[in-house]
Amino acid sequence: MLDLFLAEFGRNLLALRRYPLELLGAVVTLSVIFYLLFLGARFLAGPGAEFGGRLEAVLVGYLLWTFALFAYTSLSFGLMEEAQTGTLEQVFLSPYGPIPLFLVRNLSGLLTQGLLVFLIAMVLTTLTGARLSFHPGVVLPFLAVLLGGYGLGFAMGSLALLYKRIGQLLGLSQFLLLFLLQAPGTGPFLLLPMAPGASLARGMLAQGAPLDLWGLLVAFLNAFLYLGLGLFLFGRAVHRAKKQGLLHGY
Amino acid sequence: MARPYLEAHGLYKRFGALEAVKNVHLTLHPGEILAFLGKNGAGKSTTVKMLSGLLLPDRGEVHLLGKNPFREPLALKHLGAVLEGNRNTYWRLTPLENLVYFGVARGLRLAAARKRAWELLEEYALLGKAHTEVRHLSRGMQQKLALLQALIHDPEVLLLDEPTLGLDVETALLMRDKIRTLAQAGKAILLTTHQMEVAEALADRVAIIHQGEVVVEETKEGLLARFAGEHYVLELEEKPALEVIKQLRALGVEGEGPFFFRGNAQALWQVLEAVKPLPLKKVAKGETDLLEIFLKVVGHA
Ligand SMILES: Nc1ncnc2c1ncn2[C@@H]1O[C@H](COP(=O)(O)OP(=O)(O)OP(=O)(O)O)[C@@H](O)[C@H]1O
Ligand SMILES: [Mg+2]
Repeated sequence: MLDLFLAEFGRNLLALRRYPLELLGAVVTLSVIFYLLFLGARFLAGPGAEFGGRLEAVLVGYLLWTFALFAYTSLSFGLMEEAQTGTLEQVFLSPYGPIPLFLVRNLSGLLTQGLLVFLIAMVLTTLTGARLSFHPGVVLPFLAVLLGGYGLGFAMGSLALLYKRIGQLLGLSQFLLLFLLQAPGTGPFLLLPMAPGASLARGMLAQGAPLDLWGLLVAFLNAFLYLGLGLFLFGRAVHRAKKQGLLHGY
Repeated sequence: MARPYLEAHGLYKRFGALEAVKNVHLTLHPGEILAFLGKNGAGKSTTVKMLSGLLLPDRGEVHLLGKNPFREPLALKHLGAVLEGNRNTYWRLTPLENLVYFGVARGLRLAAARKRAWELLEEYALLGKAHTEVRHLSRGMQQKLALLQALIHDPEVLLLDEPTLGLDVETALLMRDKIRTLAQAGKAILLTTHQMEVAEALADRVAIIHQGEVVVEETKEGLLARFAGEHYVLELEEKPALEVIKQLRALGVEGEGPFFFRGNAQALWQVLEAVKPLPLKKVAKGETDLLEIFLKVVGHA
């Protein structure tokens, strides 16, 4: 498994090294989006409005959002591309089985994504003058958010496996993701995927709230619930794809 | 005979209204090459995908070294496949990177995969291209790499769906030699191809599938003998007299010289008796090849 992780990570790094323009493109796009939002917000708030300490929180939130987005979409994009180029069937010939293999892939992708986010953070701190400082405990609720994101990612991956062209759906559903990350962490909202972890992280970032252990437990329960659900759906989708002969793309 | 590496019983697959594969039984023994022949759309690739655990049969079972690849993915350690129409490898990686990646994905340790990748690249004369992205390789090299990708974890069973498609003469011959060598080393190989000369050169056994059903399955020798055994060719140094011709016709001999005789070896003696003592030029069993047999079988079936 460790070897598989290293092989996957190596494959990611090779892609970055060989196609630096794609990496650059991603960094520039994500940075520009944030910068425009930042300028727009300043414009709306009127001249002289100061974000003060809030800017840091917003920036960290944004970076975390890119992580969550990646967790949510990467499996589907990978599946669609590989079905089209025709390597998916070979991947499914792995004795590890598809679910462990894609879990390891996700993990190594997360590390690669870390590199990307680090670059974006550098660009944005330079552009906006914000400094990145946050309570390291934020990592914990955020981990819960990511696990939930991967759960949803596996659910979307099921659709990608069965219906191939779901790029539009993925694009549109990013707004849903945004909603989930903004949802209040109380009452029935605790049942929504990613919501409890996201609201904990938000509280810690914006209001400097201390880590709430009880809330963290709820966040992880929620995360594992959705991860389990995603994996279950994906397993079903694999079975169905194998039944209908959908592993090769057209 | 040794226990088969791969066994398939009663495979059946339907796509909507189409019965793509009907009740197919196949076995692959160590050291043996099975040529799996059939027209376009006969069900070859569908069968190959069921054998490799990529397509779930509606009915029937697959045993790969005794294990069911659908329930136990670990069994796939014993299988390598070149799949039809696919690139089989990552275009943005080099041959070396592809082989190392797939080696590990097939269960090898990283170091072992690297070592084996270099050995294979050397053996298959791809060392010079080890660091060239696959998309920049020629088609033949890509096809060779697809085979190496199937070999990287040294599996017992190889399923090769048209591995020699689109290769130049020399590369095709090299592939042939390599496939034969692999079988001699004890691998069980299933080979689909539309090139009958490839099948004829390599096969130990031949299975012909027609509209989803295996209509012929036997050893290549047996098959060639069975179809060749149907007629003899007889040539004489001089034209026989009319009486002799009459006698020959009575025995069922056709043709004006060369003469053709359909019958068994015993009946042939009667023919020879009839032409005695005319000088013989040639008596031979009629020759046939896989192409002729194939056309006969799928034409009649
Ligand atoms: N996933 C699928 N969905 C629907 N029909 C399919 C699917 N896969 C194969 N078929 C159909 O099953 C039949 C058998 O196809 P198959 O690919 O097995 O043929 P083949 O013998 O490999 O032919 P070729 O020599 O052209 O490669 C064809 O009619 C094909 O259209
Ligand atoms: Mg085919």
